[in-house]
Amino acid sequence: MNERDDTRLRVLIAEDETIIRADLRGLLEDNGMAVCGEARSGREAVDLAHALQPDVAILDIRMPDLDGIEVCRRIYAERPIPVIMLTAFAERSLVDRALAAGAFTYLVKPFRETDVIPAVRAAAKRHAELLEARRWVGKSAQTISVGVPSQGGYVWPVDLHRHADGTVSVSVVPDRTESVG
Amino acid sequence: MRVLIAEDETLIRLDLRAMLVAAGFEVCAEAKTGQEAVDLAAQVRPDVAILDVKMPVLDGIEAARRILAEQPTPIVIVSAYGEEELVRRAVEAGVFGYLTKPFREGDLGPAIRTACARHDDLVALREETDTLAEALAARKAIERAKGLLMAKEGLTEQEAFGRLRSASQTSGRSMRVIAEAITATLG
Repeated sequence: MNERDDTRLRVLIAEDETIIRADLRGLLEDNGMAVCGEARSGREAVDLAHALQPDVAILDIRMPDLDGIEVCRRIYAERPIPVIMLTAFAERSLVDRALAAGAFTYLVKPFRETDVIPAVRAAAKRHAELLEARRWVGKSAQTISVGVPSQGGYVWPVDLHRHADGTVSVSVVPDRTESVG
Repeated sequence: MRVLIAEDETLIRLDLRAMLVAAGFEVCAEAKTGQEAVDLAAQVRPDVAILDVKMPVLDGIEAARRILAEQPTPIVIVSAYGEEELVRRAVEAGVFGYLTKPFREGDLGPAIRTACARHDDLVALREETDTLAEALAARKAIERAKGLLMAKEGLTEQEAFGRLRSASQTSGRSMRVIAEAITATLG
């Protein structure tokens, strides 16, 4: 048991095969994590992720109704969490699709406890750092002023406006422009 | 993609190299100890490093920490052990993947590709936060110095700004450095 971590990671599992699902639950719980939801299909996984707000999701790729990559895309678009894809296939194209959908990492079946647990822990920690950096960038959105060297060696104070869509526009602060002009 | 591998057991290293080459990666350096891994990483600047945990001189996790202190690199740990303590240390050190031996060729490719992709995301964001942090800090320093010049020297805003600017031009130092010097003197 991992009692040192002050918060137990809450994990959502989506896997249509009952035995694998039970196996996953067992090894996650043995390692001090909480399985907060079990989905048997892709749609159920999307619904449960919405309802339960898990910390981590482990998704099988091949599931009835909606495949795991599409499930990952929908879960990630609604609320970014570390997603671990599970699949019997290691083809590069599939890995690339999973990454594009927002998956954090990718495990090939059959898996062992020693594959899953480190993957979950590393994904949780690194993803938290990623979110933290994104939050920081987002927070300093709006407007910042920077000094831009101009011809003749002057430094012009310039305001950069960052817009919600990620684009940046630039404007020169009028009253200060006069002062450096 | 250029991969550095660090593994003290020759047979496993050869095996690892063969698997990587078969999966389409280029092995750009091979280390036999953790210290060698750190040195080679600084020299060859690999795109990704795969480090065994149990190595002489310096273990793989400590090597990971030192490599990361030097330059951001996606790191995947390979280990015969999956103990919680080791995993925790590796995760704290900043690794993106952790594979337990024996692993299959099919495990390597996805582990490396996902580690690189997410590492690149993180590096890009960090660079952006650094730029923003630097710009914000510069702006704050300049505003503070300008305020001090206005209060203590009775300058107008334009004059205060002009003073900072010309000091920056004459000295060839950034406005921020000048502003901090003025704040240290007047503040």
